[in-house]
Amino acid sequence: MAYTGVTPSARSRGMVRESRHLLFTVAPGATWIVIFLVLPSAYLMGVAFMTNGPYGLPEMPLSLESFRRLAGFGFLGWSPGNLYTLLRSLWQTLVSTGLVVVVAYPIAYYISTCRARWRPIMLLLVVVPSWTNQVIRTFGWMNLLAPGTPLSNLAESLGFIAPNMGLYPSNFAVTLGLVYNFLPFMVLPLYAAFEKLDTAQVEAAQDLFASPVRAFWHAVFPQTLPGLLAGIVLVAIPAFGMYVIPELLGGGKGMMLGNLVANQFAGGANWPLGAAGAILMLIATFVGLFAMRRIGKRLGGGEEVVI
Amino acid sequence: MRKRTLKRGLTGFWWFTLAFLYLPLAVVVLFSFNASNSAATFTGISLRWYGRLMGNEEILSAFANSMILAITSSVIALGVGCLIGYGMYRHRHRKLGWLIVLIYLPIVLPDIVFGISEMTFFVQIHRLTGLLQPGLGTMIIAHITFQIPFVALIVYSRFVGLDPTLFEAAKDLYATPVKRVVHFMLPTIKPALISAFFLSFTLSVDDFVISFFTAGPESATLPIYIWGAIKKGVSPEINAIATLMIGAVALAALISLVFSRRRQA
Repeated sequence: MAYTGVTPSARSRGMVRESRHLLFTVAPGATWIVIFLVLPSAYLMGVAFMTNGPYGLPEMPLSLESFRRLAGFGFLGWSPGNLYTLLRSLWQTLVSTGLVVVVAYPIAYYISTCRARWRPIMLLLVVVPSWTNQVIRTFGWMNLLAPGTPLSNLAESLGFIAPNMGLYPSNFAVTLGLVYNFLPFMVLPLYAAFEKLDTAQVEAAQDLFASPVRAFWHAVFPQTLPGLLAGIVLVAIPAFGMYVIPELLGGGKGMMLGNLVANQFAGGANWPLGAAGAILMLIATFVGLFAMRRIGKRLGGGEEVVI
Repeated sequence: MRKRTLKRGLTGFWWFTLAFLYLPLAVVVLFSFNASNSAATFTGISLRWYGRLMGNEEILSAFANSMILAITSSVIALGVGCLIGYGMYRHRHRKLGWLIVLIYLPIVLPDIVFGISEMTFFVQIHRLTGLLQPGLGTMIIAHITFQIPFVALIVYSRFVGLDPTLFEAAKDLYATPVKRVVHFMLPTIKPALISAFFLSFTLSVDDFVISFFTAGPESATLPIYIWGAIKKGVSPEINAIATLMIGAVALAALISLVFSRRRQA
């Protein structure tokens, strides 16, 4: 103990000084985040429970009207549009996260088997495209998938799409854009897991005549699970709230929750409805984070998933 | 034998994935040199779209906005975030759960919720008080908000990696706290500060959604300008600006590679 032999009053003075130090270092940033993020989000959540005014701005009295609207109940009765959007968001998140895992897993493994001096370069090659602006990357896909391009022509001759339709706008294009966008976020944590893989376990499994599949499932896969879970958090949560990719590649029938929310603050303004959508997104985010933490704790062999 | 085929298959898959990752960027670069304004057929090499950029006032001002936004927000976030990072380290034995939640909040919040919260808040404050008119100012505030956590975490992890006795030694060496900061702390965490600054800068330049919702009519950044141009109907000029931005990223990648090589050597 650093304080032995010091009088109690000096000790409490030291603690006061420490507290003041904590306040001085932490307060500016903490206050900043509270004022410019906690308060605004709290306000937005409040907006969800207000009534939509004539100019799309929130008004009193409080009501649950926006949630009814979000569930599809409008002036003309119930319509499934919003529900489709919600299901599409879930589906796109599920499919793209799954595909990202399928691509990233072998890639991360492959990088970890290459020579040590090449690995940083290979990782850099995977990451660099994600440094360019998301709008530009998505624009690149628009160019690639537009009608008349080689890829569209190929899809057309194989009978996947109607003539002169092009591969975008479509749900397929959105999935592709999501996979493209999030691939590096999965490769990096998986690579970190593969890099510190305990190969003794794999050798032990092989010595015991385990089939390659069994050896993989019992000796390799559990060790990469923390990386996999971290990757799923990094991919699925932002994918669910994605705005840019469905807006550019999806068209009207490819809309996701992010677009539904954003639209309520632009043209067809209805702030309370948009805010209700935002609350839904927040719930999904925190449920996802919580679930991954729980799974990580239970299966990760004591190693906690860091997010 | 089986291992060899596996390895060969993986190598093939690796090159396929690289092609997938770079194809969209390559198309943008290729068509920026297209002589015709078609987005589907390449007719010959020309620099006319780059010539058009130079005369385009809107693009030049969007570029200036992007730079002002990125530099101002990164500098402020560096100061504020660095203080938090140090506070978190120095008081790491206390219960700081609330602070951790606060710091992770900007990171885990979906972009669109982040941007819309800020926008509705700024709009209402502006209606009530006349302050915080949407524009570069509000964008800078929003960017600082998402940069602070990254700076704080980078600085914090640098401090955690240091030998704690160094702090005792510095206490013995330098009498005043100011001297300790100038001669010991700042030099020791310099690498963390540099990488935190570059990360903040990149995050700012890379951001579209949060900028889009907090921008005013006069404060379009390059991504916002490009977004508008795409929405209005694709013009080949977009390929040219996008190519310049891709070039900047490639340059940054090269620099980071050289630095990591030098650190290894």
